[in-house]
Amino acid sequence: MPDVTLEDLILSQAQELRRGTVVLACLALLDEPQYGYALLETLNDAGVTVDGNTLYPLLRRLDKQGLLTSEWNTDESRPRKFYRVSPEGSRVRTGLVREWQDLVASIARLTKEAP
Amino acid sequence: MSTNTLTERYVHEVARRIPADQRDDVADELRATIADTIEARESSDPDAAEREVLTEMGDPFRLAARYADRPLSLIGPWLYPTYIRLLTVLLSTVLPVIVVLTVVIDVLDGNDAGSVIGSGIAALLTVGAQMIAWLTVMFAVIERVQHRDGPARGADKWTPDDLPELRDLPKPDKQGFMAGAAAIWNAFLLVLIVWQHTAEPYRTDGGDRLQVLDPGLWSGWIWPILAGLAALVALELVRVAARGWTRPLAIGYALAEALFALPLAWILYRHEFFDPDFLAAVNGDWTTPDAFYTVAALGVLAVSAHEAVKRFREARR
Repeated sequence: MPDVTLEDLILSQAQELRRGTVVLACLALLDEPQYGYALLETLNDAGVTVDGNTLYPLLRRLDKQGLLTSEWNTDESRPRKFYRVSPEGSRVRTGLVREWQDLVASIARLTKEAP
Repeated sequence: MSTNTLTERYVHEVARRIPADQRDDVADELRATIADTIEARESSDPDAAEREVLTEMGDPFRLAARYADRPLSLIGPWLYPTYIRLLTVLLSTVLPVIVVLTVVIDVLDGNDAGSVIGSGIAALLTVGAQMIAWLTVMFAVIERVQHRDGPARGADKWTPDDLPELRDLPKPDKQGFMAGAAAIWNAFLLVLIVWQHTAEPYRTDGGDRLQVLDPGLWSGWIWPILAGLAALVALELVRVAARGWTRPLAIGYALAEALFALPLAWILYRHEFFDPDFLAAVNGDWTTPDAFYTVAALGVLAVSAHEAVKRFREARR
């Protein structure tokens, strides 16, 4: 295979790894209501890189699934839709965090055994 | 809000591809989000910033599909194996049969070798293309209907029993295979009816071309029959994809069977089935006895009723 560098390989595999973490990150951050663009900034500042065209549809889907609730805020000059975690969403978050910690522990064990 | 800016045009392109009940809400949110993003760039050239932000948001078609949670493929990974298997069966068994049939009819008509080969190739290409096209349309529709009910349920219940025997004829799940075969048979009937209408395959001694079925049917009873057949094909394919009959499917099947069989039995009973000219040319002095039509009509009804009942029985399992 021509010109596939190690960095490219790592990057594409890392993307696979990160894919599922955005939901957990959203559920973790949205205890305080926030609107789309602000959440995107917060996520990217926190090192969870995600594109707007992935995040905004995701927020609506989580809203539809009942993990988030949403509300239009018209106090400012530009009306924005604010999302926050629903009670159901916070239960799901607890489960996902547990899952995440199990995963970290497993991988840590595996990578310690490997040379 | 209806100024003709790039943003408005972009939002419109996304919104019009989203289900109507969410359209305005998505549009409002998208408008605010794009404005927020542009503002955050603090660019001295707002037009360039707008262009940059929209470029990053990407193809509106793709974004709309994400919002609507719609598949971005014609036939997704869940249905693809079934699609390929059925297409293989169609192209490797039914298509050759039709081509051979066409060639045989041409030979019986006493045509020369050139025209026999010609009509063979024509049948191969047109019928083959029809098979691929309709099967693809069917599966694309199933993909979309299934997607609405949640991510592809049912189509993934593959079991090791589905594995073909090594160096042996494939023995897939019998009922699924029967449903596939029934779909192919009904599709074959459908093609045959249309074909005999357009190709007028029968040639009289005088050289006139005739249809086999009464041409008068095309301004009446043939349409429910064709619609019923098409519905039967669709439902059998859904059954193959879903790997089992459900009650709603069986009810749909019974309705389609009624749509097909009742008009067919009626025109048989009324002796309006065959083209009278064709009958005269084939029969000569002999007249088809009335009993033939009565038995045929009753036979159609009995077979259809039996098939419908069978579907309900399979659904109950």
